[in-house]
Amino acid sequence: MTDTQPFWIVLFDSTSEALLAEKLFKRAEIPHKVIPVPRHISSDCGVCIRFSAPDTERVRAALDGRVTLRDIAPLA
Amino acid sequence: MTQEIDARGLACPQPVIMTKKAIDAGEDCTVIVDNEAARDNVCRMAKSQGCETNVEERDGCFHIRVTRGADGGKEKDTAPAAGPTVVVFPCDRMGRGDDDLGQILIRAFIHTLGEITPLPDVMIFFNAGVKLATDGSEVIEDLRALEEGGIRLLVCGTCLDFFGLKGRLRVGMISNMYDIAEAMLSAGRVVRI
Repeated sequence: MTDTQPFWIVLFDSTSEALLAEKLFKRAEIPHKVIPVPRHISSDCGVCIRFSAPDTERVRAALDGRVTLRDIAPLA
Repeated sequence: MTQEIDARGLACPQPVIMTKKAIDAGEDCTVIVDNEAARDNVCRMAKSQGCETNVEERDGCFHIRVTRGADGGKEKDTAPAAGPTVVVFPCDRMGRGDDDLGQILIRAFIHTLGEITPLPDVMIFFNAGVKLATDGSEVIEDLRALEEGGIRLLVCGTCLDFFGLKGRLRVGMISNMYDIAEAMLSAGRVVRI
């Protein structure tokens, strides 16, 4: 809301993957927020994880090999 | 009069915002977009405003004709009931079945409240719902933004006390059963989560 950084989001194939990924975000202490998948990306009910753009590489490292991602993309 | 809005090449939600401005100005318009997601989003928004849409595909672009309905394009289905809208949180989860899922859902729900209209007027938290407004809650910032936007957040004092959370309220005001009952009974509608 008051954030000025551009956000990125990680998308998953299932809600369970999103839950698991959130634990990895917490373990890696990466600031994040669980939000619904934006309407312009999908009309399905789903959640994704939003984070600040500069953390992208940390996010990739934290999730790599531990959880299946569908996509990591800028939140347009 | 009919205005033409060329929204080709613009990222979401730009086409939607441009269309909404035309509708709010009381004008019919034709919006040109170059992708299906934008077409769907513009049509959905226009319909939610009581407008009719007519889409033609030409040269790989979509020409969406947006005309205001007989009632002047005012919102139909989302007209607020007389009296305030009250959203009630009896639990810190959304739905029953799985607790982890339920807490993800309620976070997504509260986040979404800040992004859609109509906004509620009052949010009431009781029983385990008070945990949403206390230390350690993942939705404090969202709730704070809603409160700053003028929404009243009533948090049940009895419940805070019961859970030993009285000193740990981070957002909203400590309230009592009189306020809570009055808010619910004078509401235009009560939405229970």
